[in-house]
Amino acid sequence: MISNEIEFHRPGSLAEALALMERDGEDITVLSGGMSLVPMMNLGIIRPEQVLSLNGVHELDHVTETDGDLVIGAMVRHARVATDPLIRRHAPVLAAAAQVIGDVQVRNRGTLGGSVAHADPAADYLPALAAAGGSVTMAGSDGERTLTPDEFFIDLMFTSREPNELVTSVTVPKLPAGWRSGYARLTRVEGSYAIVNAAAVIAGDHSAATVALGGVGSKPLVVDVTEQLRNGVDEAALAAVGEVVREAAQDVSGDLMSDASYRREMAAVFARRACAMAATTEAEVSA
Amino acid sequence: MKRTINVRVNGEDRSVEIDTRMITAEMLRERLRLTGVHIGCATGNCGACTIYLDGKTVKSCCVLAADVDGSEITTVEALSPGPEDLHPIQEAFVENQGLQCGFCTPGMILSTKALLESNPHPTEDEIRHGISGNLCRCTGYHFIVKSIQDAAQRLSGDAAPAGGPQGGPSGNGSG
Repeated sequence: MISNEIEFHRPGSLAEALALMERDGEDITVLSGGMSLVPMMNLGIIRPEQVLSLNGVHELDHVTETDGDLVIGAMVRHARVATDPLIRRHAPVLAAAAQVIGDVQVRNRGTLGGSVAHADPAADYLPALAAAGGSVTMAGSDGERTLTPDEFFIDLMFTSREPNELVTSVTVPKLPAGWRSGYARLTRVEGSYAIVNAAAVIAGDHSAATVALGGVGSKPLVVDVTEQLRNGVDEAALAAVGEVVREAAQDVSGDLMSDASYRREMAAVFARRACAMAATTEAEVSA
Repeated sequence: MKRTINVRVNGEDRSVEIDTRMITAEMLRERLRLTGVHIGCATGNCGACTIYLDGKTVKSCCVLAADVDGSEITTVEALSPGPEDLHPIQEAFVENQGLQCGFCTPGMILSTKALLESNPHPTEDEIRHGISGNLCRCTGYHFIVKSIQDAAQRLSGDAAPAGGPQGGPSGNGSG
């Protein structure tokens, strides 16, 4: 059993959750899927005084289509992100990232909002969200605000969220017709956190191309590779992508799993692979 | 802090007194004596604590007991009334020796059930992905994969020539 006493809240609405956050946000640890938080509590790495579960806030479990965007509620679980027809059609890179998170049981419970708010730099969603030009919306007692990934993610597991705020949704602009995306990750064992991961989004006419990388710094690294892929995606163009990514990945730190130079080299390799996947796969992820 | 939760476990409505520090696996084992729920790692890696929570498999070591109030849970105990009347998946594991020490088996059985419910005729690759959240440190997985192929045939009602992974085109995998 977890060693410290826990005051547990399970509000049934967002309004109720925000009222609790306003009152006790400084002492509250927010629980969504719990796939990272509960293991850390079991190990005693985190000892929250109060836990606020969002599992009763069903209004955050939605996928909503607007004219240009897809709005995905924070409590949408990975299994749904991977399979939801709207997400697969309009934000395929996010679906592709969700499809390889953890394992079946983890995808059944873990949530998009939880992963984003946890801000592990190796998380699958982070480069996917950055490459897709997505944004993160938070709500507090004084209203909502929406930040770009670059504004939201500050450092390793550290975000712009204020103590009284909750991440409520992620917005991704619909991938325009003819645009394609790819997602590639390096792991030793299926289900592990990625050592390096890369998401690429490329315009059908090659007028725009972005690759975003995780695991090579404390937040997603976004590299514009339009110039490199202007004339199509061939061997030489992919080599140029690798070069520019290797150059951009200056702020890489190593860990027990892999040192900085290896991560930097793999960032180049996986950026190339993500771009190659985007060039060869259909706009919708395959099953 | 103590509190009482209401859960439907294996088809029965239960009112359970828990501590907010409890994980669901502990609640099931210690309060309801459902010791088929095993706790291996308590970090979401091994899958021995796999249960169905509201129709989906989850790792019950990573879900706080206080958070399952109002939910429906199925554990491996629900699959068969006793050793004389095993579920077809359990029979397949026994006959193909899909276990050695047996610690991972309850989780393997439930992950197999979930896999075959969504995909009654999985390929070997799909089986290996389907049980990637369940670790076995004895078997090397070979006989587990074989057991799951056999279970797929048993559940789809095909005559079961040993070893062939392919079943017929239809059949539902729910047990």
